[in-house]
Amino acid sequence: MMRKNEENTDLAEFGQFSEPALLILVSLADEPRHGYSMTEDIEVVAGVRLGPGTLYGALARLEARGFIEPLKSDDRRNPYRLTALGERALRARLNSMMAVAQTGRRRLASA
Amino acid sequence: MKWLVWLYPGSWRARYGDEFAAVLDSQRASVGLVLDLIGGAIDAHLHPQVLPSQSNQFMKPNQGEDTMTVAMLERCAAGGPKLSPGERRFASTLGILIALAMASLYLVLTKIFRQGPAVQAVIYASVLFTSSIRVQMSYLRNRSRTAQVLILGAELAVIYLFMLGACLIATKL
Repeated sequence: MMRKNEENTDLAEFGQFSEPALLILVSLADEPRHGYSMTEDIEVVAGVRLGPGTLYGALARLEARGFIEPLKSDDRRNPYRLTALGERALRARLNSMMAVAQTGRRRLASA
Repeated sequence: MKWLVWLYPGSWRARYGDEFAAVLDSQRASVGLVLDLIGGAIDAHLHPQVLPSQSNQFMKPNQGEDTMTVAMLERCAAGGPKLSPGERRFASTLGILIALAMASLYLVLTKIFRQGPAVQAVIYASVLFTSSIRVQMSYLRNRSRTAQVLILGAELAVIYLFMLGACLIATKL
């Protein structure tokens, strides 16, 4: 059982939005971006174009969990940035993916 | 396609509506986009991440404030009597299903008749109708399901005829 106030940085809980959530966190890793900019960046980085419904479904989850936060803006295109918790969640997921990738490569090499 | 934003819950629209519309402006209309938006709207209703109190600070009573006044304001606010969670779910599902049916009808009619007044009227009528479905359901809450369907169906037909008349007049001008 999880202790009270214990951080949960597991993106898998986002269900069908876990992959879009990961892509959003990667997109925000270097600088704050607004929705359109994230869509463009994710398309360049991952070759996937997220629809607005999917993008904002994942954004709302990330914001509700404190992984990202909006920045003040006069423009209606509100930029978001990664929080410290979001950065830890991203690092944890990338480390886990890297471990799987390294294991897969090692096994392929020895096959 | 902006009218599909009205499928999302009010609290969600208050929080993300403007920026969502800005992203939508950059998208080309397509069946995939419609399905993505409808899927997002269903998710926003089933798994709300934005609480009404987060999007509407005016209605959030602080400790020590006159909560009776706030309760009265909530009761008298546009939207009529408050719906139970079950009734809200039913109204939302109904709104989404109607919007889905109207969007499908619009796409089919556009393929067959292109952009005639009868096709334009479908989109205008569906925007007006689906955006107010929850308010209408709140006033029909004590009616039977059959009565609700009949009244809403008749209302949709009247709105469509009105919009068709307006579109026909607009084409003559």
